[in-house]
Amino acid sequence: MKRVPRLRFSPGPFSPGPAALSLGAIGTSALLIDRLWAIGVLAAGLFALTLRAPRHRRWPYLYGALSAGLSVFLLSPLFNTAGGGTLLWEGPTIPVVGTLDITTDELQQAALNGLRLTALALAFAVYGLLLDHDRLVSGARAARRSALAVALATRLVPSLQRDAVGLVEAVRGRGVEIGGVRGYALLLSPLVAGSLERATNLAEAMESRGFGRAGATRAPQPPWARADWLALVGSAALVVVALTWL
Amino acid sequence: MALAVVERLSFSYPGAVAGLRDISLQLEPGERVALLGPSGSGKSTLLRALSGLVPHFHGGRFEGRVVVAGLDTRRARPAEMAGTVATVFQDPEDQVVMTLAMNEVAFGLENIGVEPGAIWPRVERALEAVGASHLAERRTVELSGGELQRVCLAAALALEPQLLLLDEPTSQLDPDGAAAFFDAVDALGATIVLSEQRVGRALAQADRVLFLEDGRLRLDAPRAEAEEWLAEHRPRYASSGFEPDVAVEEERPETAMLLELNGVTFAYQGGPPAVDGVDLELRRGEVVALEGANGSGKTTLAKLASGLLEPSRGSVRRHGRVAYLTQDPGRYLAKETVLAEVALGVGGDEARARAALDRFGLSFAYDRHPRDLSSGERERLGVAAVAVSEPDVLVLDEPTRGLDPDRKAELAAWLTAYAAAGRAVLVATHDRSFAAHRRIGLGAVEEVRAGR
Repeated sequence: MKRVPRLRFSPGPFSPGPAALSLGAIGTSALLIDRLWAIGVLAAGLFALTLRAPRHRRWPYLYGALSAGLSVFLLSPLFNTAGGGTLLWEGPTIPVVGTLDITTDELQQAALNGLRLTALALAFAVYGLLLDHDRLVSGARAARRSALAVALATRLVPSLQRDAVGLVEAVRGRGVEIGGVRGYALLLSPLVAGSLERATNLAEAMESRGFGRAGATRAPQPPWARADWLALVGSAALVVVALTWL
Repeated sequence: MALAVVERLSFSYPGAVAGLRDISLQLEPGERVALLGPSGSGKSTLLRALSGLVPHFHGGRFEGRVVVAGLDTRRARPAEMAGTVATVFQDPEDQVVMTLAMNEVAFGLENIGVEPGAIWPRVERALEAVGASHLAERRTVELSGGELQRVCLAAALALEPQLLLLDEPTSQLDPDGAAAFFDAVDALGATIVLSEQRVGRALAQADRVLFLEDGRLRLDAPRAEAEEWLAEHRPRYASSGFEPDVAVEEERPETAMLLELNGVTFAYQGGPPAVDGVDLELRRGEVVALEGANGSGKTTLAKLASGLLEPSRGSVRRHGRVAYLTQDPGRYLAKETVLAEVALGVGGDEARARAALDRFGLSFAYDRHPRDLSSGERERLGVAAVAVSEPDVLVLDEPTRGLDPDRKAELAAWLTAYAAAGRAVLVATHDRSFAAHRRIGLGAVEEVRAGR
């Protein structure tokens, strides 16, 4: 290759390392910020970034992030006993929990917490969907085996999910319906056996490709560009501003 | 001077009977060798012996000597032989390590210590050689089986090995994909040993043929001589691989309908239609083949016919019980013994399960764990597990994958007889030699021809 590859799916023009650090800073800021509009802006920005991922991959992340945030917004006012603000609704009194009510302050706090959770989940979605994990982890330069184990573990969940769907289809195809917790629990053993077999095959393939041999090198990675440094400085500034002003 | 020397090699896996018996051969630089033989004959084991995985990775009892480019596999570990030897395994999903295709190709180069500045140029050349440059930045989990297999070949080629070992590398590819794969292989300068059940393809690539049976080397000869030997002693291995050798009637009287699909459309979540407005009829006594390239919708249509998916538009009417054999059934095994696996489909009736296993040549394996069987044996186990309940319609998704020519012919004959007994069979397949009364081409969504 004439050029050192940069990745199409990195968020914008950033390298994976600075992009991951920036996402961490954004997540931290989301926890520190107390102004509703500021968290809203963060969440909206992250939402727009998530939309850059292919549709079939992004929907579980979006569903999880938005539904978690919405749940916090809808449910937390009922159980928030801090009170304050104008009483909008008063419900029944439940033993242990107390009186269910909703005030304007509780609503604002719920919106703040809901948006915080959404922003955090979306930052994770951008990390999961758009960053090159191979290079991100190997860029750490130390503990290559551990780094690879992390990358492979990232793939384990979708592999297990595919295997579970395939196994259910294979059994249903024979006219056997699987139902209930007990039915699905019976699938655990074959799923574990399948993933062990897959792991053995993978280990064999890795060994045949020289994994574990002394003197391994690293493919060169592009140096950080100005945008990467700007992202780092901007992220640090965001955390400072979140701490002191927002 | 020979690139590889195998001297009196015998090997058995731990707790198993001998997988290889007294094998001696030499491989010359630049040779193209087709490695043929029935399922379980020791082809994969021989390839693993040439790469050092046998005995280092698998353990077992090893006698004799294998030397590749001066490296004795008894002393050199597989990782040390990487770069000299490269292997492409049967199932691409089980050999992919990295998230992005280009990193996958770079993985081996980093491991063998290639100078960093040379890594990306070699990645680029390897991807270009297999026509996969456009896949460089794609995520490996999003690639089709065919695309992934090309990336795996690129990962092997990037190592610039002297000896390239290919273990049924095209088993998941449609004929065009397999042809493209072999074209890429054909342009290489390395010594190649190709184990393949698509015998016609393998012979076309080879200038020498090895035939293994029961772990013994029955034939080691130049291609022309080998073709004569195969024609005389193993005729199913000598055919071109495109002609069915099981006769079916060309003209059939109209019989009762068992399955009707009318204007069936289906799309996976958020995607374009995988199947769009397809009509299909299946009558008693019929064997119908669904054909088409990878991604043409064969599997989706098979699942719609079986009731595992519901169409978003159109209707499916079933006039009887339908059973479905998933693609790659050897991966989806639910029980701890072969007998229990088959009995699952008949409420635990072991007598019926035994009869089904006997029918598919698996009577030796009642009490074995299904995952201890070879890939071809697992495919047969999968067929036995769905056929045991004797459904009116049997829907099979790529049932000949990994089957040797003899087993494939046996399966085709059995399916023809099964249909002739008043049932019907629908087979989604890449295999153009599979015997069927009708062949339905998907993609263009049209019936190709009747008879054959």
